[in-house]
Amino acid sequence: MNKDVFLKRVLEIIPGGLSWGIIITLILLSILHPVTSAVIIITFDFYWIIRTVYLTTLLILAHHRLKRQRNEDWFASCLELPLDRGFKELCHLVIFPVYNEGLEVLRPSLNSLSASRYLKENFIVVMAFEERNIAARSTAGILEQEFGAKFGAYLSTFHPDGLKGESRTKGANATWAAKAAKKYIDSRGIAHEHVIVSCFDADTCVEPEYFGCLSYHFLTSDKPHQASYQPMPVYNNNIWQAPSFARLVEISSSFCQLIESMRLEKFVTFSSHSMSFKTLVEIDYWPVNMISDDSVIYWKGYLHYNGDYRVVPLYITVSMDVAYSSNIWRTMVVQYKQKRRWAWGVENFPFVVSGFIKNKNISLLNKLRRSFHLLESHVTWAVWAVILGGIGYLPVFFGGVFFNQSTIAYNLPKITGLLFQSTVLTSLIWIFLSWTILPPRPKGVSWLKNVVLVLEWAFVPVIILILGSSPAIDAQTRLMFAKYMEFNPTLKGNRVV
Amino acid sequence: MLNFQKIRSSLFYFSVFLFFIGLPFILAFALGYKFNARTLRFSKTGLIYIKTQPDGAKIYLNGKLMPARSPASITELVPGVYKIALELAQHYPWRGEIDVEAGKASRFDKIILFPLRPDLAQLNQERFSSFRIDTEKRAVYYLDQENKVVYKSNLDGGNFEDIAGLPDKFAQITGWDISADKKKMFIFNNHQIGVIFFDTGSDHDYSDSPVLLDYSQEKIINVFWHSDSYHLIVLTNKYVQVVESRPRALPINLVKLNKEEAPAFYDAKEDALYFSDSQRSPNGSIYNNLYKLELNSDLYLLGILMTQPFHALNLKGKEGLGE
Repeated sequence: MNKDVFLKRVLEIIPGGLSWGIIITLILLSILHPVTSAVIIITFDFYWIIRTVYLTTLLILAHHRLKRQRNEDWFASCLELPLDRGFKELCHLVIFPVYNEGLEVLRPSLNSLSASRYLKENFIVVMAFEERNIAARSTAGILEQEFGAKFGAYLSTFHPDGLKGESRTKGANATWAAKAAKKYIDSRGIAHEHVIVSCFDADTCVEPEYFGCLSYHFLTSDKPHQASYQPMPVYNNNIWQAPSFARLVEISSSFCQLIESMRLEKFVTFSSHSMSFKTLVEIDYWPVNMISDDSVIYWKGYLHYNGDYRVVPLYITVSMDVAYSSNIWRTMVVQYKQKRRWAWGVENFPFVVSGFIKNKNISLLNKLRRSFHLLESHVTWAVWAVILGGIGYLPVFFGGVFFNQSTIAYNLPKITGLLFQSTVLTSLIWIFLSWTILPPRPKGVSWLKNVVLVLEWAFVPVIILILGSSPAIDAQTRLMFAKYMEFNPTLKGNRVV
Repeated sequence: MLNFQKIRSSLFYFSVFLFFIGLPFILAFALGYKFNARTLRFSKTGLIYIKTQPDGAKIYLNGKLMPARSPASITELVPGVYKIALELAQHYPWRGEIDVEAGKASRFDKIILFPLRPDLAQLNQERFSSFRIDTEKRAVYYLDQENKVVYKSNLDGGNFEDIAGLPDKFAQITGWDISADKKKMFIFNNHQIGVIFFDTGSDHDYSDSPVLLDYSQEKIINVFWHSDSYHLIVLTNKYVQVVESRPRALPINLVKLNKEEAPAFYDAKEDALYFSDSQRSPNGSIYNNLYKLELNSDLYLLGILMTQPFHALNLKGKEGLGE
């Protein structure tokens, strides 16, 4: 095993090793030394209460920004910019990597794009199909007919299967499409500096002001090429039709992204995002053999610019589909796989740390801070629900008579109860905020659904138990044992799968 | 315009501050330590948890009324002996002492405060000499030996009615019990067993009149119903027997007893008789053995009845007998 491979394997083992180490140690401590275990659990409970309150406050702030900014007339703001900012020259390359989504998913995405309040002639739209998808050519033909004339340029690309060095990932397809678009851009003599590339999931519907907002931030940013631009993902396309379980999970995901947008030092691109095309070309596009291409592209930029690369939050939403299926069990499986794919973002850790080791221009403090943030977020993801929902009760269970007569055994459930109460309180805030980001209730959907939307939050503890930590443990364990995941696209269901 | 990053930073550092300041107090509280603001030191304490039934009792600790009512925990107690009094209106007070240890939770969670006026109700409407409670059917059976009547009521005393009469010549009843099917009962004295039927419309070919079984040569010690509600297990001063509850039924001697009054228990669920009997050791001393006689098969009993008196029973460790 050469040195690089050895290092990679060590780094792949660290997150899962840490998570399992914490879980096993706490279980053993609960049996062998319940007092110590109880002290650790109470510390974690207290940390979690403070963390929940802190993050909920951030959510309120982020939500406030979203409410304030999403309805701004960004296009008008762009028009007011001085001419030398180059608004008129700015082009938008929009790539939709398509796996096997059909017209019922792709049409709304393109419709929303064509409804943008922006200069459509400055759009270069690329529908990036997979060649192995039998229906790709016919779908591409239909869409070209319908939308080809609505934008400045419209391309359909077909990513060949099994290219050397590639995995079957979204990033490989997007990269193929971006390279095809580069040929077009170069042939038209468009400077890369004047192109912003947006890589959207196939079901992404943008708000009319999205490109105005993006352009404004790009043109007014300091070092615009050294930034990615992250809209707030919401799952509104089919939220009124989706079952409670799936809806809650996706609303929580949106909220997590809103919270992250307030923590700029940790903020990383996720799902649909935009960036400078010049930068994309310079950092050699998205990774073609990694599943978490959306976040890796940020780290590539970060390493390329020696740490001087950031994510600019755009407080405007892009709407996607809630992933669900025909029954609750299948929906759970779909959601579990989606969360596991997100948790596979842990593959960033070996990528980033390896990059840090090779890069001598980023300060050690920054390297340590970013590595710690990355590791801590994944390890916390993998252990929090296990500790709060399971291990927290073990000291009382295994403690025996002696422990159970102690004050700490008596106080442990009380402090856990306090945690539960604070969770209920924050849940009320989450319920209220979730209402405010909902799209209008479609015709044909009963008003009773409003009541359901509130009551369904009672399922949160169940969801935490099922989807809280297990997808992250699963992903980290696979990475530990080098059982690398294949890209498993989420079944998109604004038209039930 | 709000500077969100400044607000966020302030929030973050405030949270970190809160965590590190609050954590020692939370852990100290959890571990039973009390912070003394004067000395700025933590001292280890204990707690008492009190739960009563019913709730809401006033709690006096060393004579001092506590603000909380039961269920409640009194925390941060300096180790030592405490006197506790619990008072609830219209209930007997409860008093006790507890030794509070450092770092320990002393629990009083099984206290029942009994009402001053117990919820007492008379169930019988007639005189009686003994009774049986059937919790399964929620019924009470009363036996009036003097007037030779059997009464029945529900557990609240309702539906009180006489359900059978006792045979006139049956003197000095020493024991009785109701059958599992609740359709009949047996009574016995030293030399007679009587089976009295409550229900004449039974499935079996029972007689309406009592069945009387005479034991003139033996003394009856105890009688039990078999779960089939038809056979009786009889312990006399000589044998363990089984006999059908029909006129002129002949008992079968299952086991010969050495002891005249062998103590016994009958498990009606398993149809097993547990009894003790004495045995003489080779050195002449007498000691007791406890035996279990399984009677849990109807076929077993049927087999005995059909083959007796030709076959002898073999009991492990004890000689079985035919009649």
